[in-house]
Amino acid sequence: MIRRTDHRLSRRVFMKAGALSLVSFGFDPLFLGRAAYAQRVPGQSASSKVLVCIFQRGAVDGLSMVVPCFEPWYYRERRRIVVPRPGSGPEAALDLDGRFGLHPRLAALKPLWDAGHLAVVHAVGSPDPSRSHFDAQDFMETGTPGVKTTPDGWLNRCLLHDREHRETPFRGVAMGPQLPRALQGSAPALAVANLQAFGIRAPQGPVRDRLTAAFEALWAGQESGVVAGTAAESFEAVRMLKTANPTQYQPANGADYPPSPFGRSLLEVAQLIKADLGMEIAFVDVGGWDTHVNQGDGGSGQLAGRLSDFAQSLAAFAQDLGDKLSDVVVLTMSEFGRTVTENGTAGTDHGHATSMFVLGGAVRGGRVAGRWPGLSPEQRYQRRDLAVTTDFRDLFAEVVARHLGIQQLDAVFPGYTPGPDRFPGVIA
Amino acid sequence: MGLAMRISLLPSAALVVAACAGHRAGVPAVPPMAMGSAAFPAADSATASHLLNRLAFGPRPGDIAHVEAVGIGGWLDEQLDPARIPDSAGEAALAPYGEALRDPTDLLHDFAPAPPTQLDSADRRRMQIGLRDLAQDVMMSALARHVASDRQLLEVMTDFWTNHFNVFLQKGADRFLTADFVERAIRPNALGRFEDLLVATAEHPAMLIYLDNAESVAPGSRPPARGRAFAFGSGRPRFAPMFPTPAARAAAARAPTGINENYGRELLELHTLGVDGGYTQQDVIEVARIFTGWSISHPRAMGPGHYGFQYNAWAHDDGAKEVLGVRYDGGGMKEGLRLLHFLAESPATARHLSHELCARFVADEPPDGCVDAAVAAWQATHGDIRAVLRAIVSSPDFWAPENRHAHFKTPLEFVASAVRAVGGDPDTTVRLLGALRQLGELPFMRLTPDGYPETAAFWMNSGAILTRMNLALALASGRLPGVASDLDTLIPLTDDREALVRRVNAAVLGGQASDRTLETIRQQIADLPNPRNARAMAVALALGSPDFQKE
Repeated sequence: MIRRTDHRLSRRVFMKAGALSLVSFGFDPLFLGRAAYAQRVPGQSASSKVLVCIFQRGAVDGLSMVVPCFEPWYYRERRRIVVPRPGSGPEAALDLDGRFGLHPRLAALKPLWDAGHLAVVHAVGSPDPSRSHFDAQDFMETGTPGVKTTPDGWLNRCLLHDREHRETPFRGVAMGPQLPRALQGSAPALAVANLQAFGIRAPQGPVRDRLTAAFEALWAGQESGVVAGTAAESFEAVRMLKTANPTQYQPANGADYPPSPFGRSLLEVAQLIKADLGMEIAFVDVGGWDTHVNQGDGGSGQLAGRLSDFAQSLAAFAQDLGDKLSDVVVLTMSEFGRTVTENGTAGTDHGHATSMFVLGGAVRGGRVAGRWPGLSPEQRYQRRDLAVTTDFRDLFAEVVARHLGIQQLDAVFPGYTPGPDRFPGVIA
Repeated sequence: MGLAMRISLLPSAALVVAACAGHRAGVPAVPPMAMGSAAFPAADSATASHLLNRLAFGPRPGDIAHVEAVGIGGWLDEQLDPARIPDSAGEAALAPYGEALRDPTDLLHDFAPAPPTQLDSADRRRMQIGLRDLAQDVMMSALARHVASDRQLLEVMTDFWTNHFNVFLQKGADRFLTADFVERAIRPNALGRFEDLLVATAEHPAMLIYLDNAESVAPGSRPPARGRAFAFGSGRPRFAPMFPTPAARAAAARAPTGINENYGRELLELHTLGVDGGYTQQDVIEVARIFTGWSISHPRAMGPGHYGFQYNAWAHDDGAKEVLGVRYDGGGMKEGLRLLHFLAESPATARHLSHELCARFVADEPPDGCVDAAVAAWQATHGDIRAVLRAIVSSPDFWAPENRHAHFKTPLEFVASAVRAVGGDPDTTVRLLGALRQLGELPFMRLTPDGYPETAAFWMNSGAILTRMNLALALASGRLPGVASDLDTLIPLTDDREALVRRVNAAVLGGQASDRTLETIRQQIADLPNPRNARAMAVALALGSPDFQKE
């Protein structure tokens, strides 16, 4: 169980430090704090709640993922890239609730919808008007739209909320060679490009141990600052992985992950969850959504292939976790959506609102949440894009409050006060 | 902000109109600014090491002594005039990858003789293997030259501009065009004028494909019947058949019917003004309209050398447009060149690019002093890249103690500098690419148009540190054939442990190792009786030390 007695104090202390701590190379007062993190108290029970964030980089077309089948404007504005109405053939949208339809290549997610484990939030996005991928991704990852000076990411700030409790370098893990902006900050977080190869590589065990010790000695206490903390976390993670031995992993329940980078990343997330290393937040990037050209319809084109991989990987992940899914929430996000009207090259350009999925045992599934703004030109944002009716922070805040149990939402989303009255209502 | 920017941009716009016709021939090349050597500190091992870490891919054996001999300014003069540096080492390193640098049309014919749908599964598999090998050769050709060439500043700037004008090797025909993009658009202009670089990238088919401009057309425009097959490779017959085949229907469904904003937006946001450069969504649309018709000639129907730029007048939107307060009233392809000239001359571009250069060469968050100096040089010389580089290196910020040993090497800088430090050449296996893949910086494989970041915040994390240690081990223990063989001359085997530590410090760390690193190396080799093992351990620890991760 999470102890809550004194997390306010420690959070406040840590946030103060965090404000000073743009990852710098030289002196950093956080070194001591970070080193303390890297000591796991054996046998200490950890909260078993896990949040898996998936970033669809490139701005996914929310109108194609979850089609507003009741909107005449959708069919009027999209001729060459239309997902046909439900019931009109094998490449037609899959009816969700009589109003919205799922892209047919997301069919692998339909059983999760039917079982009540999958919810959609539509017309969600940022209040900031930027159509720059990079600014908009930054704003979504720092959790502070319009503010470019925020030093840390919102997921890193989540890790600060009760720092006494998860003294493991695995508390926040990004699958990939880099730590995304959302996980950068003063709380430790790991980037794991390949779980099997995480550690010093040498053919024989004793040689490996000797070399590991030599490098650890080289980095220990050498640097003050984030560098030393990062190195200490690396070696602690290597030790914990060695004990957990996740190299012998077989997916359960017949789960069949696609052999794609995304499928492989989700498989490793499932491994880490089952290895019980205290992971609270996992982060996975998946790209290829910037469909300016040949976006395609229900059956072919750029988007269809990406969506197949996306849905099959997520479905395999849910199947692999089995009962453990009750402790897990998967939240998908993308920096913005795409134009309502198709462009001149059978694609879509940068837009505003998109749709996001929330998947997991605790999800109030089987519903499309969020107010629908309409698609007529005057209902659009700047007469061009799907308008934002749900600030992404309201959705993210609901997930961290109701799933991870974080109460101090203003610390996670500074300058904003999300509250239950604004939550889209996707977590039970 | 937006309004102020518009006003400040207006005067230069007036000059553009007059100058645009002869924009390449008309402006005389600005010679590198003559700078007194007083602007540079004296060359010693510390300043030489700093210079070589920032303006080269790290020192090779003998480089520090060379800088000490010719001075900081002398070395810079040499490197800013790369044609006068004999470069047999660079040419030799490139030799195994000649395939990758062939004409793109030839590559297309050889590696993708037919669309995959027309091949049986065995041929398709062969084609995939061929394309994979080609991609590896393209990447290795870049890495090999970064390591081996004696024209180091040209290599660094080629990498800088390739990253600034990012394209993605795996997007369609960019498999065949990316190496050509580097060789014809980037490298010849990497130490030249920014405007030439901007025009060369705008016209190169790799960029036209990557940011989709090749298919952006004025709404309602139709290709003349004869040109259709060439314009988009659709194989459309001259007269529409009464019952079109499914393939013909699919091709018709893909044919462009209007503009695509992708290039227009990234041109303003990334290539020139910067995201805060004061433009609006409407400006993005107008820029896209100006570049309608900038497309590519399709190579299948033509001979070598024809995988090139093609301006399609039929696709150009000749209506009135306005970008950042400047009107464009039609004028075909020339209005695109006018716009590029306007953007290249814009103060916002000077500042955006100066900041980016200083972030690379001085500090992740560059001080105002060096940025201002770079901007001044940029504006005085209309974007002469050599003058801007001189201004940056002459700036006190470049040499300030807080900016030395302070920049976390990117994976490419780490890998290239490690191989150079031990006097190696890149082996022709793909192991160095494997290291770059694990570290997340394969050349030409950044999917998004922003290019790879330069900052420590992006590259430094737990997994990455372990991967760097593993590469250090591989280099030091001879698991990279062709690299470790030089160790015997560089760091001879010896039983004298103190001599070994001194030698490793001098050779690998430019004599700049911290006491703590030297002490740890001493301790770790104390119980290794075999001199070969002791040397491997010492070199591995030096390359894997915090000292070597910084430049």
